[in-house]
Amino acid sequence: MAEVGTNAGLLAVRLVTPDRVLLDATAEAVELPSMSGYLETLYGAAPLLAELGSGEVRLHGGSAGEQVFFVAWGCAEVLPERVTILAEVAMPLDEIDPEQVQAELRHGAELWEQAGDDPEKYDKANAVTRVAEAKLASVAHRNAEAGKR
Amino acid sequence: MANVLDLRRRIRSVKNTRQITKAMKMVSAAKLRRAQEHAMQARPYAQMLASVLDSVVRRSDLYNEETGEIMHPLLTERPEKNVLVLVIAGDKGFAGGFNANIGKAAQRFIQERLAMGQNVDLEPIGKKAIAFYKKNVPMAVYEHKEDRYDNDLARHIEEIRHRAAPVEIAAEHPTLLVKANISEIAALTDSIIARYGSAEIDSVYIVYNEFKSVISQRVVVEKLLPIRKLGSHEMTVMEEMTEEQKEAAGSAARKSGVALTLPEESAYEREAKLFGTANVDYIFDQSPDRIFRFLMPRYVTTQIFHAVLESIAAEHAARMTATDAATKNAEELIDRLSLTMNRARQAAITKEIIEIVSGAAAL
Repeated sequence: MAEVGTNAGLLAVRLVTPDRVLLDATAEAVELPSMSGYLETLYGAAPLLAELGSGEVRLHGGSAGEQVFFVAWGCAEVLPERVTILAEVAMPLDEIDPEQVQAELRHGAELWEQAGDDPEKYDKANAVTRVAEAKLASVAHRNAEAGKR
Repeated sequence: MANVLDLRRRIRSVKNTRQITKAMKMVSAAKLRRAQEHAMQARPYAQMLASVLDSVVRRSDLYNEETGEIMHPLLTERPEKNVLVLVIAGDKGFAGGFNANIGKAAQRFIQERLAMGQNVDLEPIGKKAIAFYKKNVPMAVYEHKEDRYDNDLARHIEEIRHRAAPVEIAAEHPTLLVKANISEIAALTDSIIARYGSAEIDSVYIVYNEFKSVISQRVVVEKLLPIRKLGSHEMTVMEEMTEEQKEAAGSAARKSGVALTLPEESAYEREAKLFGTANVDYIFDQSPDRIFRFLMPRYVTTQIFHAVLESIAAEHAARMTATDAATKNAEELIDRLSLTMNRARQAAITKEIIEIVSGAAAL
């Protein structure tokens, strides 16, 4: 088990992007989009390494409060007392630009169109489209939540 | 002797120039500070990527049992016949020898490679680098070929390269330095890896101005692919700063309030070294092999990103130093001209007095 420090019961969470450390906070629980589905980690979780899927990182409790970030292309390390997320794309949901997402969708379709008979190119095209669709889903989800309130 | 009015006009014009170069220096210093900060903030990600790659590869089955080498296309060496060279220069001039030095270093490297009988593909990054090659190096020609299969459902698409000259421009990147956006660099990496995978190119080098601090910079050629060792930079130094240049850069930085040395390693960076390397049995949500393969292209992207950020900082530093020297020269010129002007004015006054005095004596 992890040592009991001042942050006992809280996970240290870091979200690191190529540009900067986007988030450095503590949280009671963190939800992550792994490639194989969402997983939620609490303090004392077993060590884990996962490839990130595209989707939302949600933080609950601790200094972070309730925060949601969209992430894609990266990997995450879970240790008993800390969660570190490495993501090429990471942003608060408010910063998702729907117009840019549409451009990404078109780019994905274009890649698909140009893939010919190369399976790797299809994978790439699918991945681009998947990330764009996940962004749209996040925005829709956020809007729905805002509507409820 | 020049006329006082002319001299006064010239002094005014040099003063205006000084004003402009001084303003440019302040702007460059501010941009340099921002660029330095950006480069610092980008370090944890690059470090984490290197650490986790190093860690997962040790836990993967990617090792060749006989030779102990890692089996991954980006790590496999083959004879270099076609070399890709990325050349990062600036977007603007007025930066002393910055652009010229990079051009010279790239040229030297290209000549070396040609002498070894290798073909060179160039990808200039930044407007100055593009302008440098556009005139005398031809663009690479690709033939787009599409074959329909008999069932008419699928197509076979191929881009066939027709090499006409030993040195060609494979692509240009005029906007990459403007925002230093990671997604644009990731697209560049994708295209490089695709060409590397199809053996259109056998190795990739990047020529840029490395920036450790204002007084510690050098033009280097870094080998990007194949990767020999994760987390290390394999580079050849083409040109170092002379003591004189260091002195000039140091004095410009001190006057503009730019730190001469970069801050020490941050806590984030220390932590970044440990990312994914804990001495525990990780549960792998995906296999280490898969994580390794997924992260490898990203590692290449961060290497290019790193070079781009350093080059941007170096460009601003070069411009700051150059405009500082220009300001200093303008000041000296103003001093000299003022002296000449005062002399001319005094001479005129003396002459008038002599005329008056001799006029009075004649009466």
